[in-house]
Amino acid sequence: MSVSPANNNPAMIYQPVSGLVDDAFDAEGQIKPHWHYLLGSLDELGAEAFAERQQKALRILRDDGATYNIYGDTSSPAHTWGLDLVPNIISSDDWADVEAGLLERAELFNLLLRDIYGQRRLIKTGVIPPEALFCHRGFLRACHGIQLPGDHDLIIHAVDLMRGADGRMWVLGDRTQSPSGAGYALENRTVMSRVFPSLFRDSHVHRLAAFFQRLRAKLISLSPNIHQPRVAVLTPGAHNETYFEHAYMANYLGFPLVQSDDLVVRNGFLWMKSLDGLSRVDVLLRRVDDWFCDPVELRSDSRLGVAGLLEVVRAGNLVVANPLGSGVLENPVFLRYLPEIAKALLGRELRLPSVPTYWCGDQNDLDFVQKNFSDLVIKPVYRNLDSRSVQVAGLSADEQQQLLAKIKAEPLQYVAQPMVVAGHIPTFENGNALVPRPAILRSFAVASDSSYTLMPGGLTRVGNSENSFVIANQAGARSKDTWVVASEPERVLADSAQDDSVVVREADLISLPSRVVENLFWMGRYAERAETTLRMLRTTFMLLNGEEPISDAVKQPLLQALLAVAAIPLAAPADEASDNRFVAAEQRLQQLVSDGSLTNSIATSLNAMLYCADETKELLSSDTFRVINDIRDALQVLPGNLNASLGSAPEEALDPLVTALMAFAGLTQESMSRGFGWRFMEMGRRLERAQQISLAVNYLLVPEFSSQDQNKLAEALLLSLESLISYRRRYRGRMVLDTSLDLVLLDSSNPRSLIYQLGQLGEHLRALPKAAVGLHELSREERTLLETEVLIKLASLKNLVQTDAGLRPHLLETMSRCRELLAEISEQITDKYFDHREASQQLVHSNRESL
Amino acid sequence: MRYRVCHITEYQYQSRVSHCYNLAHLMPRNTRRQQCINTQLDVQPAASFSVRREDYYGNWAQHFEIQQPHKILRIIATTDVQTNVQDTVMNLDLGITCGAALQQMQNNQDEAVLMAREFMLDSPMIRANDALRDYAAGIFQPEKSLLSAVMALTQKIYSEFTYSPQATTIATPIDEVMQNKQGVCQDFAHLQIGCLRALGFAAKYVSGYLETLPPPGQEKMLGADASHAWISVFAPGEGWFEFDPTNNCMAGEQHIITAWGRDYFDVTPLCGVIFGGGENPTLSVSVDVRRL
Repeated sequence: MSVSPANNNPAMIYQPVSGLVDDAFDAEGQIKPHWHYLLGSLDELGAEAFAERQQKALRILRDDGATYNIYGDTSSPAHTWGLDLVPNIISSDDWADVEAGLLERAELFNLLLRDIYGQRRLIKTGVIPPEALFCHRGFLRACHGIQLPGDHDLIIHAVDLMRGADGRMWVLGDRTQSPSGAGYALENRTVMSRVFPSLFRDSHVHRLAAFFQRLRAKLISLSPNIHQPRVAVLTPGAHNETYFEHAYMANYLGFPLVQSDDLVVRNGFLWMKSLDGLSRVDVLLRRVDDWFCDPVELRSDSRLGVAGLLEVVRAGNLVVANPLGSGVLENPVFLRYLPEIAKALLGRELRLPSVPTYWCGDQNDLDFVQKNFSDLVIKPVYRNLDSRSVQVAGLSADEQQQLLAKIKAEPLQYVAQPMVVAGHIPTFENGNALVPRPAILRSFAVASDSSYTLMPGGLTRVGNSENSFVIANQAGARSKDTWVVASEPERVLADSAQDDSVVVREADLISLPSRVVENLFWMGRYAERAETTLRMLRTTFMLLNGEEPISDAVKQPLLQALLAVAAIPLAAPADEASDNRFVAAEQRLQQLVSDGSLTNSIATSLNAMLYCADETKELLSSDTFRVINDIRDALQVLPGNLNASLGSAPEEALDPLVTALMAFAGLTQESMSRGFGWRFMEMGRRLERAQQISLAVNYLLVPEFSSQDQNKLAEALLLSLESLISYRRRYRGRMVLDTSLDLVLLDSSNPRSLIYQLGQLGEHLRALPKAAVGLHELSREERTLLETEVLIKLASLKNLVQTDAGLRPHLLETMSRCRELLAEISEQITDKYFDHREASQQLVHSNRESL
Repeated sequence: MRYRVCHITEYQYQSRVSHCYNLAHLMPRNTRRQQCINTQLDVQPAASFSVRREDYYGNWAQHFEIQQPHKILRIIATTDVQTNVQDTVMNLDLGITCGAALQQMQNNQDEAVLMAREFMLDSPMIRANDALRDYAAGIFQPEKSLLSAVMALTQKIYSEFTYSPQATTIATPIDEVMQNKQGVCQDFAHLQIGCLRALGFAAKYVSGYLETLPPPGQEKMLGADASHAWISVFAPGEGWFEFDPTNNCMAGEQHIITAWGRDYFDVTPLCGVIFGGGENPTLSVSVDVRRL
């Protein structure tokens, strides 16, 4: 035992709790050798220092955008991924046994899958009762006869394991639909190696990278098109619970992330809609449940799939991994018959035992279930959101009777398992101590050429309390990195280089789906809109509260300009008696702040921007995600801060958001590659900024005022457009209207001038892919842009500042026309480059679930 | 008997359909008592991609994809088919008894019996329940032969239910049909299948056509026929036998089989996804069955 270093950093001593199965201790209560080094190190580190590392890890996870969405929690759907920094440690020797068992199991499930969608020998010869398969909703009859090239149909096989009271590993169940967790395991590993670099290095942990290289190589090898295989990752979208992982894996593997709308079936092939038209997709790594993948043949009301997909697969023009229909292997009834299935297909029983499973469709099993009801866990054979496992002991007598009646009405649909508590491992809790928590390990096997390759370790999840039975992310469980430790440092395997033998020119193959490009365009627009609104609001506060009082006359246009850029409708003038119209401006502003109109307007823009950022997650760097988190945080506290500081310096409440938005703009400028995606984001930004300049000029400078007031408004304009400093340097403080207009509209060296935005927009437009190569004809949007540039360039300052009947008619007309043209450009870009999916519908309206 | 069946389906849309994906079960399959001699599916406008395959149940499934804008979709399925009578025992009373059949369904490990058990289970449109079981239970006495009991059930449905095309739609659940005692061939078939499954027997849904003859002395009108549906029941050791509750008979030479499955859902004549099209397309179907 070590001595605790200091009082304020208590030692962390892990002690056995009697009656618990604990993986860190042997039968005599001694720490097992492979846990020694870790527990000793943690003890030395102390609880406080450990808690600091935990904070650091949390920040990294947040910055990486690592989230897990919990269904039904609409208030804040994105939860930061929970990682406990005490790894789950497995010795190499232990792992060798588990590995052999899991590889054998993967082979068996592969054979089982082939039999189910092929000959169905297991049923024809009576190895399993027909009902075990035919009553399972995961058995997709439409997928009959589909076979993948190579030896394996089951590409990824995940297994949930736990250590039993006997010290052996037991299988709880299999995940074959579209197993999640491998990406989270990788993220956990990345964080651990950053937070505990030396501990990690000294522990000789087996690396994960080889697993992903194998997965990548396997997916590429599945392609029916050998010359330029194109693989994509299909996600249900940003609302999915594990969307982070989809984007993370797509990025890590170097494949585009696509959604339903990005894909279309044509002439028997699958295509991705991208900027330069349609490009073929040969392999889909799917994260959409098979049942949702094709509204023509599978679930007809699905919006997550692609119409006609299954027929493309059947024609051999596309490979989907895991194959459509593979969800049937998750049927727990197979566990009941696994020894017989293994004997029939492998010629021997499996070496890794599964948790005993009783199927209510079997009379003997049903009798057993009734007799031992309160000691069991009841599981529906088909897993979905509405049907979960139930611990009978936790039910009232009435509820137990109801459940039993439900089972008897549909016995085929339920299995029972004894309540088993997983072995415990040390876990850091309450910020101060190591306590034992039950743990489940999810392992991952991927098909290689002739056998499976296992990820060393996997994803460990721990329950929330001692002996807790339910360990699921949906129930708030935390995860751990899993360390398979070698006694000696691992040699980097030579074959990891060999896996790259499939040479793919990534840059050529990855083009962006139009949806992503559209989201980037709008992300640019919304970011800019929010920023201008914030600046304008800040300017208004500063002028109203400034040391120099401003005349009442100035307040009204100021407020109007603010409302215009914030897109808040003007209040009917009749509400405000004419004599206190100007005073009302101040009250109105207060009212807009306190009733939330302004913050709503800002929040609407920012939320739209954040949504677009989520949809394009895979293109943004982790630094960018940190800034996005800052924006999200600042947005949450904005209404409170603003209301609290209305009395004094309210503009300061806006600073964190303005700063974060500036940082966002800077980062995208600095860290995004200059692909089409970046160009569209920039175009969105430029278009929006041009619109906003025109609006501000319109509302602040069109009405005629006394020269003093006029100068004040010009100053407001320059301030809100971030041009006041340039102006003062150039014109030495003499605030004159025409020079102000010159700087804001015509000066192409001012990055905040209107003409500068148009110039940038033109450069981006010219760089986009052209339909007809070689012709010099301008595109529609280029023509409109040219017209806008001519309008501004031909404007004479003398004409613009001319007044007539209290207005500047030329300025008004020029600005209005300019905004019309900008709106036209935006529409033309939208028409040309973005996808306009027509709503689809069923020819025959039937939304029945298959049985 | 040799027939030419012509089945024309036409959808008229309110607005343009830009493209669509369809799956058709419109061509008669091969069975023990029926050979499909020649079959053709014409699609207007022309399909850009079309594939025919055998589905899970051995039916013809035709997939096609149309990539040109259209407001009218016309599908013409023409098939020449040779049909024969079922090879049944002449006397329905002589076969396996209900009691023995139930026993066999549970315990016999023959491949044919094991595979037939798929058709004992609930399916998308048919859920067995006590009401269905009680409706038929009295007929299926253990010592009675299974096929004569099924014939008796066929007769019971025929005499107690009214044929009424206005009473139901594709989506009408069996419970409602049971309550109102009205429906069309498809409803009666579903009902009879539900009764049989509730009792522990295996039964299939069969879709197809029935040749109708004009009143004596009159010429038969083109397109006067309609698609039809009936059932097939499994007698262990004997095979599958077709009964038609709408016409109170066993299926004969005039019953032309298109496809079979667990229920209508598995053999929907035409389904798919269209892009555009507006609301409420009008559907017209004409079927012509003529002797060759």
